[in-house]
Amino acid sequence: MALSSFSMSLPFAKLPSTSKSTRFLPIRASSAAAAASPSFDLRLYWTSLIADVEAELDAAMPIRTPERIHSAMRYAVLPGAGNEGTAKRAPPVLCVAACELLGAPREAALPAAVALEMLHAASLVHDDLPCFDAAPTRRGRPSTHAAYGTDMAVLAGDALFPLAYTHVIAHTPSPDPVPHAVLLRVLGELARAVGSTGMAAGQFLDLAGATALGEAEVMKVLTKKFGEMAECSAACGAMLGGAGPDEEAALRRYGRTIGVLYQLVDDIRSASGNGKMRSNASVLRALGMDRALGIVEELKAQAKMEADRFGDKYGERVLPLYSFVDYAVERGFELQDAATTP
Amino acid sequence: MAAFPPLAASRVRISPLIPAAAMAGTAGAAAASYAQHRRRFCAIVATAAASPVPAAAAAAATGFDFNAYMGEKAAAVNRALDASIPADEPPAALHEAMRYALLAGGKRVRPALCLAACAVVGGREAWAMPAAAAVEMVHTMSLVHDDLPCMDDDDLRRGKPTCHVVYGEPIAVLTGDALLSLSFHHMARFDSYPPDIDADKHPARVVRAIGELARCIGSEGLVAGQVVDLEMTGSTETVPLERLEYIHLHKTAALLEASVVIGAILGGGSDEQIESLRMYARSIGLLFQVVDDILDVTKSSEELGKTAGKDLASDKTTYPKLLGLEKSREFAEKLLSDAREQLSGFDQETAAPLLHLANYIAYRQN
Repeated sequence: MALSSFSMSLPFAKLPSTSKSTRFLPIRASSAAAAASPSFDLRLYWTSLIADVEAELDAAMPIRTPERIHSAMRYAVLPGAGNEGTAKRAPPVLCVAACELLGAPREAALPAAVALEMLHAASLVHDDLPCFDAAPTRRGRPSTHAAYGTDMAVLAGDALFPLAYTHVIAHTPSPDPVPHAVLLRVLGELARAVGSTGMAAGQFLDLAGATALGEAEVMKVLTKKFGEMAECSAACGAMLGGAGPDEEAALRRYGRTIGVLYQLVDDIRSASGNGKMRSNASVLRALGMDRALGIVEELKAQAKMEADRFGDKYGERVLPLYSFVDYAVERGFELQDAATTP
Repeated sequence: MAAFPPLAASRVRISPLIPAAAMAGTAGAAAASYAQHRRRFCAIVATAAASPVPAAAAAAATGFDFNAYMGEKAAAVNRALDASIPADEPPAALHEAMRYALLAGGKRVRPALCLAACAVVGGREAWAMPAAAAVEMVHTMSLVHDDLPCMDDDDLRRGKPTCHVVYGEPIAVLTGDALLSLSFHHMARFDSYPPDIDADKHPARVVRAIGELARCIGSEGLVAGQVVDLEMTGSTETVPLERLEYIHLHKTAALLEASVVIGAILGGGSDEQIESLRMYARSIGLLFQVVDDILDVTKSSEELGKTAGKDLASDKTTYPKLLGLEKSREFAEKLLSDAREQLSGFDQETAAPLLHLANYIAYRQN
């Protein structure tokens, strides 16, 4: 198992991204007593991670020839000057949290976390095209096809997919501490998650979803369209962290569950005027509010059950997983002034 | 010497390879494909006899059965492609569209280059077959998206209606995206490869090959070529030769380069060998597009399997338009010569497929 030899705990304060060596602190003697540990500050953790991810995204996509396509790619992935187009970066949080849970350094997971954002953005750019959702806006500003033209939006997506793979390959510290074999599995997982049995399947089902859907069908769309990316995020973090097979499987289930949970709660908040619907499939329309709320409780319990598997071995490093579940349900804080759905 | 000697007027057009599901027709199609290749091979031999081909290359030319080689590789690649698309897994309609686009025919030139490059550096075919399938998936994906109404807006591809015409735009977009993801997933999977790979070196080689493919098709590769190509379409200004070369080095040559280079990487080639093959690939990549442009103004839609004259009709910049037909043919000859030169350091018997592929690209008729 390729666990890092670092002695570390999770960052409880925002650390300067230029001083990576100071990011990890010794584990406190009381860490084994998970039940008595203080609550975890998810907001601080998440905002620090967003800063790291966006800095790396910015560096990964300089404007080069041809300028138009690189501008379109940056537009699809990065927020604008006035913070419009801000993304929550949930996939990177899952990826890094899973990796750090297992004791590996953030550096091992950050390139994959960034790649997840590129893949996610690529799928969204194509999902917003006129022949799909025809979404004229995304995160409070014109969508990529509205800003750059449909042809550039198709090509921006086509370019972001391969950029994700080149980014992971170029920037993941390999073969030490990430063996080439692990890196290869991560690449395969990223490709699977956005492919014809992953997110693309969800987009396809969503297209066909004009007809009335029952509970099984709606949950299937949500699982494919949102659960796959979340599962992939957790799985990549697990692999990069040196997870064993059982650990990886548990983190996959956790990720998948929380991805669906997150979107379902967005769906409910949307009905209450608090969010923006991003899928044609709607549990509320299909099942009504009571059943939707019931499913939320089921998913919440499932996700926490998966997180429970890690408590004994990893102590307080599991806290981000629990906090993320609570956040998905309660939305206890805003990440940015103009925060919208990821 | 005529750069492109005319073939017999009585040549019969052979229909493209049919999907594997129609097994009854496969043997006939394969036989017909051999017949078609045989006529081209005769033209190549006639041309070779009239040109100052190096002695070793001439010997290889007379001993090597190119049409059998291409038929065999195309059949093997088609089997690999068919096996790579989920058979029973939902969504069935999306996988059907992927199959339609992928198995709609095509000569499998890029996969053949990949396999030949693997062999010339001493690798086994099975080591490069997942990559050979991957480059064909990427090529098909770029065509599916290129054919969309907001791009080239083509209705015909390889003699058949394009993906968006048959399935609609949304599914055509998803089909392209899914083929792109499948190409990388297929290359990354451990069980895509045979047991006799070098277990220690294999993961690093595949990672490197994936990086090479991703770079070649991205925003500084294939996509860059597509972007500049779109920008030039309809432009009233004269496009300089270097701009035209940029478009083709990126739009067509980049993927041919990736095909060759990743075959060499997976075959265990040395860095020196890989770079020689890269230069070979760039020459034939540009050659491919120059010939494509020449054929567009000299052949009918039916013969090409796509809409002929479309580049001129949509005011796209092409070599014949920029240089004239005669100078375009001369340029093609120079590129062919450059490609052959890059292969001079390899064993000529093992290099025969690559030599013949270069000739094939230069003298093909569709």
